[in-house]
Amino acid sequence: MKKNGVNMIKISAKNVDVFYGKKQALFNINLEIEENQVTALIGPSGCGKSTFLRCLNRMNDVIDICKVQGEIVINDFNINDKGCDVVRLREKIGMVFQKPNPFPKTLYENISYGPTIHGMAQSKQEMDEIVETSLKKAALWEEVKDRLHEPGTGLSGGQQQRLCIARAISVQPEVILMDEPCSALDPIATAQIEELIDELKKEHTIIIVTHSMAQAARVSQNTGFFHLGELIEHGSTDKIFKNPENNKTQDYITGRFG
Amino acid sequence: MNKNKEKLLAKRYSSEKRFQFLGKSAIFMALLFLAIFIFKIFSTGYTAFQKTWLIVPVNFDAETMYLDANPSKEDLEDADYFEISLQSMFNLDKNANEKQQNELKKMVSYFFEREIKQELINDPSLLGKTKDVYITASDDLDQVFKGNYPRDLPENQRRVTDYQLKIFDQLVEQGKVESKFNLSFFTYPDSREAELAGIASSFMGSIFSILVCLAIAFPVAVLAAIYLEEFAPKNRFTDFIEVNINNLAAVPSIVFGLLGLGILLAVFQLPRSTPLVGGITLSLMTLPTIIIACRASLKAVPPSIREAALAMGASRMQTTMHHTVPLSMPGTLSGTIIGLAQALGETAPLILIGMVAFVNTIPGSPMDPAASLPVQIYIWAESAERGFVEKVSACIMVLLGFLIVMNLFAQIIRHKFEKKWS
Ligand SMILES: Nc1ncnc2c1ncn2[C@@H]1O[C@H](COP(=O)(O)OP(=O)(O)OP(=O)(O)O)[C@@H](O)[C@H]1O
Ligand SMILES: [Mg+2]
Repeated sequence: MKKNGVNMIKISAKNVDVFYGKKQALFNINLEIEENQVTALIGPSGCGKSTFLRCLNRMNDVIDICKVQGEIVINDFNINDKGCDVVRLREKIGMVFQKPNPFPKTLYENISYGPTIHGMAQSKQEMDEIVETSLKKAALWEEVKDRLHEPGTGLSGGQQQRLCIARAISVQPEVILMDEPCSALDPIATAQIEELIDELKKEHTIIIVTHSMAQAARVSQNTGFFHLGELIEHGSTDKIFKNPENNKTQDYITGRFG
Repeated sequence: MNKNKEKLLAKRYSSEKRFQFLGKSAIFMALLFLAIFIFKIFSTGYTAFQKTWLIVPVNFDAETMYLDANPSKEDLEDADYFEISLQSMFNLDKNANEKQQNELKKMVSYFFEREIKQELINDPSLLGKTKDVYITASDDLDQVFKGNYPRDLPENQRRVTDYQLKIFDQLVEQGKVESKFNLSFFTYPDSREAELAGIASSFMGSIFSILVCLAIAFPVAVLAAIYLEEFAPKNRFTDFIEVNINNLAAVPSIVFGLLGLGILLAVFQLPRSTPLVGGITLSLMTLPTIIIACRASLKAVPPSIREAALAMGASRMQTTMHHTVPLSMPGTLSGTIIGLAQALGETAPLILIGMVAFVNTIPGSPMDPAASLPVQIYIWAESAERGFVEKVSACIMVLLGFLIVMNLFAQIIRHKFEKKWS
């Protein structure tokens, strides 16, 4: 959505620190994510991109030793507040993981799982519709429509990843977090998913972690560069790639380290 | 330099060969022992599945039985069969003196009266007629007929007399001795007489014990495992619990027997010698086995599945119940079956809680006194009579068969689950 020519802010992280036990993994991150845009997070391995991504849907709660401090405001609501309901939060903020992780159930059950637990369909017919539209949006429908009741684990890697994307969008999340969604895929499947991301941004806000500069440049409008747990620089992808302010960013993008 | 390298290479190859040889011989030894064991059991036990019958003409004389010509069913039930039974045995040798008549009587089991009675009740038209009836031979003659009895011992060291052998040999010659499948081994309870002893009471006792054990141990263990693995915070206290569960698995089973004796029988006053108490005692033993198996298979569920469910907005409970637990079930079930199989073969704790008592009734519920298969083996192995030797082996065969069926069952369940997930 544009307001006065400026994109609305969907998520804003303020002074976010993350600790794994005593070790600090993120230092004072301040980042705003624009609505209906693709934001790419780049940086060398171990710099904390995944950690930051997992803060946004509170997946770090799962890790016992992980502690998150600071404010993350989504829709004017600080999700690190005690009153935040993680189940509702994760319904709004979907996630696609680096390695495809479909449930060891049928394709249909994979997609219908989210809508079922959130009570989104009143009838079998409605559920069928959700499954179909989700798979269509994920550009998987044509390939699998005849085998919806076969196990999801029987698909190829790229198909599995698109299945996971379809699963994520089945509950109509406002934001989709993607952690290196193409790292296990060949160039063709990668191209399909990039196309898909472009399509999805019309309805969803997308944050994608990637190691491929080319991919970041192709799919994102905004980019944030992380290094050793700090957000070094962020801004429009054009600017970051064409004339970055920071030397480290320049070095990383041109492949001089990382 | 090069030579050295070659030497090293040769050394590496030969060490691999040595290792393979050791491994193969270990497997060979294990198989050999197994084969010897099975051969021994089968060769001594298979005769127990045959039973020797004497075919004796019985005169169903109404007068001797104090019956009129047209007796009712009740009359037949109440009639006196002892006299005609005795007479039919005595008739095997019309010239027998009193001592010999006594020996004649001892050639068959003390059930002979009942067997003769059953014959008439099945066919009342036999009244007043004479018919050949199959009568269970005494265990000693049974062993003689099977060739397990040393006939060449001096008479005073044998339990069968020369006279009995003479009559028996005559009967064999006339074709009046027959060997048939020993159904009563499966349908009769235990008995002091080897020819009448069966495994029905101990088999049912084992079944009931295992069911009680399963009904208690499985739900408790699975709940405990799920809680510990998926929900409990990881702290000193839960570590302590974990260590103690492992300790519990290592406690000798006889200790659980003492616990059953001291608590279930003494404090709670549960009925002695029953599968109920046996099953509860065994469940204490099985509990840690199932907990450990269930936790291991919960741990084996890839974390990515949990993350996927959580990221979809499933609660922890939903993640556990919808994804983790179903995926862990095959492992849990096979662990459960292993635990039950252990429990099935357990003897010591059952002896302590009184399941070793002589039980000559077939239990109809877990509240009735019963033995169990391994205890039955123990009881029979203690008995002096030759007739029990083959029963011990036969009972072992039944126990092994039982275990094989259980394992098969586990395999089938596992297979079904795996088919669904892959
Ligand atoms: N579960 C964990 N326990 C302890 N430390 C962790 C854990 N996960 C991540 N870390 C640490 O936090 C830091 C950031 O890790 P993170 O996974 O966010 O990096 P990343 O930028 O996603 O790297 P990559 O590009 O390799 O995926 C690393 O130093 C890592 O060692
Ligand atoms: Mg990462």
